[in-house]
Amino acid sequence: MAEEIKPDETLDCRGLSCPMPLLKTKKAVGKMKSGQILEILGTDPGTKNDLPGFANKAGHTYLGEKDDEGFTRFYLKIK
Amino acid sequence: MNDESEGSVFFRLLKQGYQKVFFENWPIWLGGLLIGIMSVITFAWARPWGVAGGLRNWGDWFFSLIGVYQHPPISPLVSTNSILTLGLIWGAFGSALMAKQFAIRMAPPLELIKGVVGGTLMGIGAAMAGGCNVGGFYSALSALSLGGAAMMAGLFVGAYLGLRYIYWELEHLPTGSSGGGRSAKSEGAFNWLNIEPYIGAAVFLFAIICASLYARQSLTKIGGLLLCGIAFGVIIQRCRFCFVRGFRDPFMTGEGEVPRGIAISLMISILGFAALKWTGLRGEQVYVTQTFWFGSLAGGIVFGFGMLLAGGCGSGSVWRAGEGQVKLIIAVVCFCLSTSLFKTLINASEGFKALIGKAVFMPYYLTYKWTLVILFLILCAYYLLATWNEETDKFTVEM
Repeated sequence: MAEEIKPDETLDCRGLSCPMPLLKTKKAVGKMKSGQILEILGTDPGTKNDLPGFANKAGHTYLGEKDDEGFTRFYLKIK
Repeated sequence: MNDESEGSVFFRLLKQGYQKVFFENWPIWLGGLLIGIMSVITFAWARPWGVAGGLRNWGDWFFSLIGVYQHPPISPLVSTNSILTLGLIWGAFGSALMAKQFAIRMAPPLELIKGVVGGTLMGIGAAMAGGCNVGGFYSALSALSLGGAAMMAGLFVGAYLGLRYIYWELEHLPTGSSGGGRSAKSEGAFNWLNIEPYIGAAVFLFAIICASLYARQSLTKIGGLLLCGIAFGVIIQRCRFCFVRGFRDPFMTGEGEVPRGIAISLMISILGFAALKWTGLRGEQVYVTQTFWFGSLAGGIVFGFGMLLAGGCGSGSVWRAGEGQVKLIIAVVCFCLSTSLFKTLINASEGFKALIGKAVFMPYYLTYKWTLVILFLILCAYYLLATWNEETDKFTVEM
């Protein structure tokens, strides 16, 4: 599902662990416009749970994730 | 032909079961339930669950090895404290391998420094409170010690202060990134991830062999505790059960899932401990540490602040270390060293020891019945307030 997504912004959280990826995402989201797509690069397995949870609570759309070489790309559509 | 298809059905079910257990994360409430049950089983088997005691044993052992302490501690191989914590790392490591989640994950420099500072503060807080979030709070409250409640209050304060620091850091310091983890594809055709589950199975098999070796040396209790520790490790890794979130999330994201999980877990654990103590099957003073109120409260604040910096509590840092996260491995090492040194410092001074506090076993003052009523009211309030906050965001602090 996350194959053909073109992100507007990319946030590099590789090497960071809980709660930093989530907080940096929260901060980045605040600077973006409605309908834009944020790509988050991460290595913490916890992010796979935390991001959909955050998106759900904050009203953004979680578009999915894609495994890359040694890290994962996550996609979020801003409310 | 018929036999073959029955066989393949069996293998398909086995594979589905494996994927359900190790590829899908377990819900938090299930983790709370299972931790509560394991906590009671562990106490019924030998002693309450703890994490910091094991880390202190390793610190003591290290310092006696390099000649700082004159008397060596109980050997880490037979200390119940050490075995429980070893089991936790072991279980988390095996479980991460089974889930193909084990990887050495390097963190950027600032994160590593936070691991050092956070681990050191947690070690100091745990020495003051008579344990980490497990021994000083979870098992202490289960053991009907008022110190557990004081540490709970301290943990909220510490987590709040720690979150304020992290918000400040996000605005003022560059966190950076380590630029990627292990690159599986560039290592050629051989992919480690594919054999991780086999190594994981071997890790668990080895644990069972070790437990039976203990039994042969008439140390069955120790072998059983190793398996209890491993069960905690697997449960906690699969749920990513993190006590930090129980104290941080209400302020940070407003999510109430983990506070609810902790509340459910404690209700089960408290009932089990009360049954074992009330009936005289276990000593009433077990895990009622001499830390009320100053040690528990102040230790809770220091520990709470430290766990926010480290991004893991006592149990949380240990299982993440078992998953290969370098920042948390550093935090655990610093925890071992600082908790050993600070405990020695406290024990060296009668005045300091008196300041830390005394043991308060709640049923001596309130009877068992009212102790249980009050503790359940506190936990219900925790559960309901966290859920209410999820809707209203009243406690949530904005960046």
